[in-house]
Amino acid sequence: MGAISIKGLSVSYDRKTVLTNIYMDLAAGELYGVLGPNGAGKSTLFKAILGLIPVNTGQVLINGEPIDNQRKKMVYIPQKGEIDWQFPATVMDVVMMGRYPFKRILQRLNGQDKNIAMQALRDMGIDQLKDRQIGELSGGQQQRVFIARALCQQADIFLMDEPFVGVDIKTEQKIVEILKTLRKSGKTILVIHHDLSKVHDYFDKVILLNQWLVACGDTEEVFTEENINRAYRGQLNILHKTMLH
Amino acid sequence: MELFDLFNYALGIRALIASVLVGLMCGVLGCFIVLRNMSLVGDALAHAVLPGVVVGFIVGGAGVLAIFTGAVVAGLLTAICITWIQHNVKTKNDAAIGIVFTAMFSIGVMWISKVAREGAHLDLDHFLFGNVLGLSNSDLYLTAGITVYVLLSVVLFYRYLFATTFQPVIAETMGISVRAIHYYLMLLLSFAVVASMQAVGVILVVAMLITPASTALLLTNRLKYMLLISAIIGVLASVIGLMITDFYNTTPGPAMAVTATLFYLLAVFFAPQKGLLFKFLYKRKIRKRIQFEDTLKQTLKLHERSSLSLPNLKERLGFNLNTLKYNLNLLARKGLVRQSSGTLAITSEGIKQATRLVRAHRLWETYLVQEMSMDAGQIHEEAEIYEHVLTDELLDEIEANLSYPKLDPHGAPIPQNDYQPDKSLSSLSIDTVAEVAENQLNSYLVTRLWQLGIGHDESFKVMSKTEDFIEIKIDDELVKVPVTLADKINVET
Repeated sequence: MGAISIKGLSVSYDRKTVLTNIYMDLAAGELYGVLGPNGAGKSTLFKAILGLIPVNTGQVLINGEPIDNQRKKMVYIPQKGEIDWQFPATVMDVVMMGRYPFKRILQRLNGQDKNIAMQALRDMGIDQLKDRQIGELSGGQQQRVFIARALCQQADIFLMDEPFVGVDIKTEQKIVEILKTLRKSGKTILVIHHDLSKVHDYFDKVILLNQWLVACGDTEEVFTEENINRAYRGQLNILHKTMLH
Repeated sequence: MELFDLFNYALGIRALIASVLVGLMCGVLGCFIVLRNMSLVGDALAHAVLPGVVVGFIVGGAGVLAIFTGAVVAGLLTAICITWIQHNVKTKNDAAIGIVFTAMFSIGVMWISKVAREGAHLDLDHFLFGNVLGLSNSDLYLTAGITVYVLLSVVLFYRYLFATTFQPVIAETMGISVRAIHYYLMLLLSFAVVASMQAVGVILVVAMLITPASTALLLTNRLKYMLLISAIIGVLASVIGLMITDFYNTTPGPAMAVTATLFYLLAVFFAPQKGLLFKFLYKRKIRKRIQFEDTLKQTLKLHERSSLSLPNLKERLGFNLNTLKYNLNLLARKGLVRQSSGTLAITSEGIKQATRLVRAHRLWETYLVQEMSMDAGQIHEEAEIYEHVLTDELLDEIEANLSYPKLDPHGAPIPQNDYQPDKSLSSLSIDTVAEVAENQLNSYLVTRLWQLGIGHDESFKVMSKTEDFIEIKIDDELVKVPVTLADKINVET
């Protein structure tokens, strides 16, 4: 049984089907690239895994159990644009959120929680910035804050929605390094990604989506021109320019 | 003095206590209303409690608790209606709020007028604008009870309020019910409105909710401090407002709202960092630095043409004489120029710093043309500004990304740093096999190589050389390296 096991999943919004009959079994300790054109249902897949939306049919199991039992084992790292960077929150405030799922309703956060948060900040190399307001950080530092929160939550499964949007190439490489290190420590990581030219460098495994599951498996085997064409039907011309340099 | 009289009476004391409580409670609760972009909802709820007040009055016979219950039920009903319309009807979100609350408010006003005409002791004005000087003891107890309840709720549920306000989706994934917190906040808001009704009236409650909170947001970047500052401003506004009321014999609610607005205006102008004055001073500082650096740069240019003199400099810069002398004195004090009896000279340190500015200017122009595809004719103005703000690190990065260009788009030389690698790629002859050394000029160069597909420790073979490019074979792939970049790459054979 894999870390994430999806059986016959279908999801629709306003009577429009977004995901159709998806079956997949994702292994623990792997780094997956989630690829597909706009409207392919990549974000919807994440929401279904997180149990945020009602599904029409099908089942999602996390570590072999229903989502509700495994909620705190999963973290979602949203796109940069979805966050209010002016919000009066410091780095420490955000990372401490990772301890919330461990607390009963009126239980206070304590020194031990603080230590765990500090360790996560140190792991990400941003402990110096703990009192900064989140808007005062660079794009790469902002991503690290959310990864630190995930570590603080001791999650096994990371769902990242386009973490490389709005960060420079150097930062992007550093984040990839961090993700590869996390994978080695047994974390399962799914990354929604747009830049097809980097897929081979970044991911060992890919999931190709276009409302149905085009392919899922080792990058070497599955990330073929044929599969890419099937996923990106009608957008071939643009692809040839970006992909086949 | 009337003030003295007022506070000698039980009514005055009660009014003061109630105002403090209302300022405190609204200040704290208002922070979450503001941060959730729910100011309009706050206003809506305040207006919409009115029909509930009438029902409470009729059913419970003017009892404080009956009116309280009626108002809270009306408030919650409004919140539910608004959310339902927003989710199920194709009406714009803010229009939905407007439709619901104006309807509720109108029903309330019509009903009160009717009941009052029938002889009941119910004064519409008191609900609309408050009647803090007419508070009974039971009113005060209710206000105090509500304040304690609201503050306790914020303290106990702080992390839920924080998480659902900051990132509702994340809160949901953590198993926090965003909807439950939303309605709980609506409940607290209804409580606060009822408690404030006597002090400021339903029309102006929203001022006590959003003005102190918005003021606090201008003064701090941390939620906990924001809550504290907002509470303090709320209390000050209501107490000062009450004193104004007494002094000028006016209505308390508006006096409190106006006082809160004055605090807000003070913050708009004088807040550190986010205030207009701070921004103005910051801009002025930048402008002064630009003047200073421009003087230095033009001094170097005239020096290079051996025509450095005060009149020439004045003509080039277009400054008036006082500004020019001021900047030259500043330069002299920093040891960048020497002035003696009418002669002017630039020091070696001055040349060094001026050259840095020229480098920034020309690199930025090159960047705009090469990377942003801008026209060479329209880039000078922008570079004139950016040369003053680009950091050395950024310049190094731009330079590496542009492969160490030697000339800017106008053909002028870009001042180079004098770095020469021990053994450069461009010094290798054709067919030589070599490795990229681990030790390179800076991390930007390493990144640039990485982008080209050249990692360190990888061996490669020089295939061909032209005036502009050196072609190398690495991992069976041919890579064209610009000669200017190859000059800076450190290799080992």
